[in-house]
Amino acid sequence: MSAVGIALVAFVAVTAVATVLVRDVLSAIIIFGAYSLGMALFYTLLLAPDVGLTEAAIGAGVTTILLLVTIAKTTRPIGDRVLASINWPAAVVVGVLAVLIGSTVPYIPTDNFTGGLTPVIANPNVTGYYLEMTYADTGVTNAVTAVLAAYRGFDTFGEAVVVFAAGVAVLVVLHTEVFS
Amino acid sequence: MSALEFLTTGYAYLAFAFLLATGLYMMIASPNLVKKIIGLNMFQSAIFLFFVATAYVQGGSVPVIPQEGGAVGEYASPLPHVIVLTAIVVGVSLTAVALALIVRIYTEYGSLNEETIREVARR
Repeated sequence: MSAVGIALVAFVAVTAVATVLVRDVLSAIIIFGAYSLGMALFYTLLLAPDVGLTEAAIGAGVTTILLLVTIAKTTRPIGDRVLASINWPAAVVVGVLAVLIGSTVPYIPTDNFTGGLTPVIANPNVTGYYLEMTYADTGVTNAVTAVLAAYRGFDTFGEAVVVFAAGVAVLVVLHTEVFS
Repeated sequence: MSALEFLTTGYAYLAFAFLLATGLYMMIASPNLVKKIIGLNMFQSAIFLFFVATAYVQGGSVPVIPQEGGAVGEYASPLPHVIVLTAIVVGVSLTAVALALIVRIYTEYGSLNEETIREVARR
């Protein structure tokens, strides 16, 4: 774990906690934008630049804008208190959950963090096929793009349908009849 | 496994557990509906972190592969990355619909506070 990794984990953890603790929703949204950017850098550090770019554009960009538009159209809590009050029963419950999940971590194979040859959960044979054949099959050097647009093109089309359905749902919910 | 080794190899998974719990706490405990949605997004990004961490290969490079092809262990696995890309886009669609519902709730009830909405609905 490099110094950059330590700094990023610390940054992400601090911004996450700050998002929870701050009472004003506008501040929480801005801090959450910083959190998303930190996560994007963390993904990039873990050799996933495509995920990092998407997270920076959509997580830190589009989601933040959507949240800001929402509070512009509605309201945010008024009052002088800076910090939100802590709900201790909920904190205990999620604390137990975190400890439970954390206690499974030593049993997750972490070979891939110590110089082991294979990614731990994705099947190495399947991964090996894509690494070897991507260019021959699709003529694209970026394996992520190749899987997204060529091997799994229909899934990506289905994703576009989901986005379209979400757009329709937003228009229906908001009673914005563009065509009437 | 010693504690130090555990920290250096499992830090991404520990961050995953911590962020998952933090997001879930926001969804449960925050009375404000917009903050609940922020918590939902945090929960999602923690799961993305888990997927990306499983694809990581120490000393490997990003999955951009030269024409002659690569071998396992030289590159991070591209497959979890693709799943996460899809999930990010679906996640933002989910957020958009949830926030539209919140705007409607505000026009009906005049508040975004969970308790206040419950009381107005009871009357």
